[in-house]
Amino acid sequence: MKTTFNISCALLSLGAVVFDSRADVTHPTFEFRVFESGLASGGEACNFGSVTQISATEWFFQGLHANTTGTSMSWAYLVDPDPFITGTFSLTNETLLAKAYVVDFSLPISPAIAQSTVSGQMSGTLTDSNGSGSASMTSTNGGAVYTALADGMFVQSLMSNANQTVSSPFGTTSFSGGSFGQGLPPLAGPAINSTIGIRYSFTLSAGDSVSFSSIFVANPVPTPTALVMGLFSGLAARRGRRRSC
Amino acid sequence: MNIQNTCVIVASLCLISSTASAGFTSSGAQFSVTSSVGSGTLVNAQTQITPAAWSNTGGWTGTNASVTWQNNIQGWDSTTSAGFTNGNIVIRNNTSTAQDFAVTVAMLGNASAPLVAAGSIGGQYVNGSASLGSLTSTGPLWSAGIDGVSVNDQLNNALFFAQPYQVVSLGSFNFSNVGTSGSITNNASIRFSLRLSAGGEASFTSVFSFQTVPGPASIALIGFLPIVRSRRRR
Repeated sequence: MKTTFNISCALLSLGAVVFDSRADVTHPTFEFRVFESGLASGGEACNFGSVTQISATEWFFQGLHANTTGTSMSWAYLVDPDPFITGTFSLTNETLLAKAYVVDFSLPISPAIAQSTVSGQMSGTLTDSNGSGSASMTSTNGGAVYTALADGMFVQSLMSNANQTVSSPFGTTSFSGGSFGQGLPPLAGPAINSTIGIRYSFTLSAGDSVSFSSIFVANPVPTPTALVMGLFSGLAARRGRRRSC
Repeated sequence: MNIQNTCVIVASLCLISSTASAGFTSSGAQFSVTSSVGSGTLVNAQTQITPAAWSNTGGWTGTNASVTWQNNIQGWDSTTSAGFTNGNIVIRNNTSTAQDFAVTVAMLGNASAPLVAAGSIGGQYVNGSASLGSLTSTGPLWSAGIDGVSVNDQLNNALFFAQPYQVVSLGSFNFSNVGTSGSITNNASIRFSLRLSAGGEASFTSVFSFQTVPGPASIALIGFLPIVRSRRRR
């Protein structure tokens, strides 16, 4: 009886190992969209740069995109469809007018999450790139600069009513946008079926640059069945150790 | 009266000519990367965005490590009377151990003393690993220099820690009106030098600008103009 039980546990464990070590052959479709003054541009991030597989589930995207309306941006993101998004995004407004931007990064997830916990964080820098003596990055209509999204819907936001300024030629200021869900207890999130994402929404002064580093992580909450299974494995291992003694 | 006006015009032309003789050109932009990761491939593309300024976008790719930049370089000419480099740079260590990186952005050219310099640096550090991460430097993390001699250093002996999957702001640092007695004979540059733990990413926005300080002769000439105009009105 005990032998049969131990073999079953071993098979279950092997199954779990195989499942965890499966490697995706193709990279995830990590996309970005830039909206400015009613115009949209963007696409698959790898089409404007490169993608490198870092581990079985992690991919590194980096690239550059300059549209025809005087906006240039660059990004370097590590993503995992398991899922998380972490990295840096920079944007320069090369026009003569302040502009309102909305930039969305979106990552398909796998597998879907029935119940999640979420965490996120951001910080950034603002630079007077044209040496005019001033630069500003503000929330558009008082909204949040950073919004974490799940299936395109709001999860959490940071930096509402932001008003960052630089008042010296070629000056730079750093700002911390805060965080959520990084303490205990974990912050409950929604069920996530298809994507997670980060939305940046801000108004940037003419000729200036802003850079954001941020993270958004979603973790599945263990289901009761999984918890029972985990407990069961622990007990079985304990009994196995007793037998060997 | 006519002789006076002619002298002013000739002197002004000399002033413009003198300013324009110092030259920083787009072709003088030079990027270099060294890393403990080993050798890598460096690519930089230049696009002219104004008559005097060029956009440089590119990067360096090594084995599981990369550097990307988006950097504008303003040439030195009679209309801008200043040169500068500004932009964003991201350094990523995707290896499983800590790695050293040194990145230099140089504007090749020359300019006559005296000069005044200004600049700034700000950045973030992202720990994209499941372990405690660190960003450190031995000596200045950021340095702006002329002909290899430092004009301004920032983030000396930097030491930043980040918990797994956390972001740390590196702060921002500004300087202005730093006088330099020497001329630029070869280059003005900025240099990043740092060590990143496994899975770390450092991003910086920085500026280094300089401009000539008008010499006594130029100041005297500028002072002379109102006198001439005043005499003309009389």
